[in-house]
Amino acid sequence: MILRLAAALAAALALAAPAAAACTHPRTSLAYLEGQIMCPTCHTTLDQSESPAALRIEAEISKRIAQCWTADQIKAELVQNFGAGILAAPPRKGFDLLAWWLPIAGVVLGAALLALGVWRWSRGRDGPEPPPDEGSGLDPESERRLDEALARFE
Amino acid sequence: MARGLKLSGQALALALVAGLLGLLVWKLTHQSHPPKIGGPAPAFSLKRIDGGGTVDLTSLRGKPVVLNFWASWCVPCKSEAAALEAAYRRYRSQGVVFLGIDYHDVTGDARTFLDRHRVTYTTLQDGSGMVGDRYGLTGVPETYFVDRRGRLVGFHIAGPITDSKLAAEFRQGVEAALNS
Repeated sequence: MILRLAAALAAALALAAPAAAACTHPRTSLAYLEGQIMCPTCHTTLDQSESPAALRIEAEISKRIAQCWTADQIKAELVQNFGAGILAAPPRKGFDLLAWWLPIAGVVLGAALLALGVWRWSRGRDGPEPPPDEGSGLDPESERRLDEALARFE
Repeated sequence: MARGLKLSGQALALALVAGLLGLLVWKLTHQSHPPKIGGPAPAFSLKRIDGGGTVDLTSLRGKPVVLNFWASWCVPCKSEAAALEAAYRRYRSQGVVFLGIDYHDVTGDARTFLDRHRVTYTTLQDGSGMVGDRYGLTGVPETYFVDRRGRLVGFHIAGPITDSKLAAEFRQGVEAALNS
């Protein structure tokens, strides 16, 4: 029995070794890819889905990983099969670059507007310089009567 | 200068709000609803799964068409595959075109499914699900019938045609496509 098990193990290793050795680059993993690929029927990433479609796509990815496909090759095949919507993030090229740059531009623009607002607000709080003393603003007759009235209190 | 800045800011804010409103309206108007029976069948052009080019629904005008949406990962699709193939063999002599539309599926799995279930009618690939969305699919399998004038007729069958009630609807649907 032990001999039979050892023989089976040796055969499995002999079969697995060439496949593993055939990889000329670091092998990607399902764990790495399943957060980057969407389940087409449930609109979550594969790692959050147990739907039949998601499980089939995971099986397909595992098969390609065993065949030493790179992550990019696997993603390209999935895009060809399911369209660009299968990727959790848009590609970083062409028109899709907008999806990456627009949020950053929005944040930068928002921060700039906020800074401008704060700067203007802080200047407003300091207030304009008080105007130079230009007298009481009363006409001469009123001023004379006011002086007389004050003089009576002195 | 300050007035110009203020006006620019207000214009920007208004543009942002208008853009968000536009997105909301777009989303509301582009939600998928099943097309109405009696109305035109949503047009499409899809690749054949056997690599033999594309099929355009409008090119089939003048022929009754059965559209069956399915996927290899769908359990009820397995149960109805034989019934659909039998129906195809029964009705093809009357000029009825059967189109299987493989929805959100891995191509290799779909081909294995077709071989295993000996499906011989034309199967098209809808990997992105765009056509399924136009037909307002809520799942698979679902079946529609298109008459010679390109209108949807009969029933929208949501479920496997092996179900006795749905089997009766299927027969009536094919007859409606043939006779209207």
